[in-house]
Amino acid sequence: MYEVRFHGRGGQGAVMAAQTLAEAAVLEGYHAQAFPYFGAERRGAPVKAFARIDKSRITLKSQIYNPDMLVLLDETLPEIEPVAEGLKPEGVAVVNTAMAPEEYDLGISVVTTTVDATTIAFEKLKAPIVNTAILGAMAKAQDFVSLDSIVKAIQDKFGERLGPRAANLNSDAARVAYQSARTGRCKAVRPILQKPQWLPDWDQMPIGVTLPITQVEGVVIGPGSAWQNLVGTWRTSSPNYDINKCIRCLRCWWSCPEGTIKRQEDDHMKFDYRYCKGCGICAQICPVSAIDMVWGVKSW
Amino acid sequence: MVTKVISADHAVAWGARLCRPEVIPAFPITPQTLIMELLSEFINDGEFDADFIPAESEHSVMSIAVGASAGGVRTFTATSSQGLALMHEMLYAAPQIRLPIIMVNVNRSLGAASGIWLEHNDSMPERESGWIQVYVEDNQEALDMVLQGYRIAEDERVRMPIMICLDGFVLSHTVERVEVPDQSEVDRFLPKFMPINALDPSDPRMINPLVPPEYAMEMRYQLDRAMDSSRKVISEVDEAFALSFGRRYGGLFDMYEMEDAEFALLSLGTATTTARGVVDELRSQGKKAGLIKMRFMRPFPEKELLQAVKNLKALGVFDRSVGFNSFGPVFTEVRGALSPLRLPLTDHIAGLGGRDLTLEEMRSIFARIEESASGKIERDVYWHGLRGEQK
Repeated sequence: MYEVRFHGRGGQGAVMAAQTLAEAAVLEGYHAQAFPYFGAERRGAPVKAFARIDKSRITLKSQIYNPDMLVLLDETLPEIEPVAEGLKPEGVAVVNTAMAPEEYDLGISVVTTTVDATTIAFEKLKAPIVNTAILGAMAKAQDFVSLDSIVKAIQDKFGERLGPRAANLNSDAARVAYQSARTGRCKAVRPILQKPQWLPDWDQMPIGVTLPITQVEGVVIGPGSAWQNLVGTWRTSSPNYDINKCIRCLRCWWSCPEGTIKRQEDDHMKFDYRYCKGCGICAQICPVSAIDMVWGVKSW
Repeated sequence: MVTKVISADHAVAWGARLCRPEVIPAFPITPQTLIMELLSEFINDGEFDADFIPAESEHSVMSIAVGASAGGVRTFTATSSQGLALMHEMLYAAPQIRLPIIMVNVNRSLGAASGIWLEHNDSMPERESGWIQVYVEDNQEALDMVLQGYRIAEDERVRMPIMICLDGFVLSHTVERVEVPDQSEVDRFLPKFMPINALDPSDPRMINPLVPPEYAMEMRYQLDRAMDSSRKVISEVDEAFALSFGRRYGGLFDMYEMEDAEFALLSLGTATTTARGVVDELRSQGKKAGLIKMRFMRPFPEKELLQAVKNLKALGVFDRSVGFNSFGPVFTEVRGALSPLRLPLTDHIAGLGGRDLTLEEMRSIFARIEESASGKIERDVYWHGLRGEQK
């Protein structure tokens, strides 16, 4: 049995990538399954998806803890999630990054295929939906599901939902990624992130699904604890505010759904990039284009 | 104490009034309506003070009850049948948030076919909602269980809601002699409600947030343990009640003529009363008949039942609702509990949709159980009072 775990961000298409891999494996004559794990279903939030491939009927329905292949649709994920945890030492990684495999630090040294899927996706699809490019790189990172089958599966899945034009563009993205992907061994300098997690026994939990403000094992839980979630890492583009163009109309200030735009004494704005999810509403609403969405997790 | 001749609905309203609930959300539905009518009269006449909230549906009634109880006040409501079904979604919130709401469900059949009459198919499906569930036999027990109910529900070892089920019309609209205790007696028996997690803007809490899988099982197990703790509390409260009021109900179930019984019926609700008469009749004929009065369906007294029936040669179970092409819910539970025994067990379905459960039918139920004690079992499930041949 071959197990693949995908880590991405909401909107990158990790779930579709897992499903497309499963379909490609079935086209090759294998048994396959693919499934998502949904937590906070938000664009930009870290998400997981899984795929399992085997020669015979798969007799397991659970998540994947020791994958043979780890797929990162976003190269920054190891900074915020323990994504490499459990990857088999003889397993492989496929990472969306402009770096060469030898430059990329996964926290565990394994055979790694890197591809600049974001650039390919922007070129082919005009959007940062990197799943089909990453699928092309995945075709190179193993030897039992061919690029042909992956392209066929893309044609079928994307054609059905988005029409033939989108299917062709996505197939192109996969082919280009297959050509440009590089394979080597990644670095293991940084430690795999340890996240403190509060996992009490049943008799240690507060009574009745009711939480006061509580601090347990270094984690604050209960009302008002969301400040700990630095969701600024979820964004793929960042608002760049030009104070000289700003006419102080306050529209961005009251439109920000996260309250990350702070009104100053003189009615100019300050952006709290720790919590900005990069939705772009402020840039859309600004009547004088004083806010510009710039690709990447940036702050000014 | 005052002696009155009142219906079970009015007995329940008196019980509620004596417990001083502060919020009473209500929506009318036959045969429950008499309860809320009398409570609203009490409030209107200035005899008793509570926020009486007429809601737009039973779904809202339970939502209000959950909100009020979470706010830290004693809360009472009542419903029936379709009303209980409409509450179903909100029912599940109360036990898991550990809110000691008392709700009376006046049993009435759940449509289709539409009917206003007695059947247990409204409350039986709610056995897994997390509510403690008790079935009462007469009007006095209906009143007394409201008093006992709050003391059980609010005990810190329990903190769970209780559904008191009483038979529609056969109890709800039948007048009987009822001892209505004095307010001072009830105040001595039932301490003031001390909420553990009352909503308070100066000490904010999150109630019923999204619970991820890492915590869900522990949360369920906590409730499972609370249900288990309630067994002991139910017995203790019954004893304390006996000391205060001189009446006791036996806790999870009660027994009648069981010491030397060879065959017995396990029944619940008003059927128990008629069954008592038939047991007396059989005893006068020298037959060793007995009766188990089932009271609590949750928590379910597996171990205690096993002990109670160990000398029997046969047990029959009365069900006032159906498991289609299966067994009635009470039978299913009892058979599970008694599976270590090789005891002949038969299910006896009768009195559905308000069909009168007659003395003759109760006699035929006992006759079938007696037969089964000597090894004659025609079938597992007998329908009594059915026209046409049972296949």
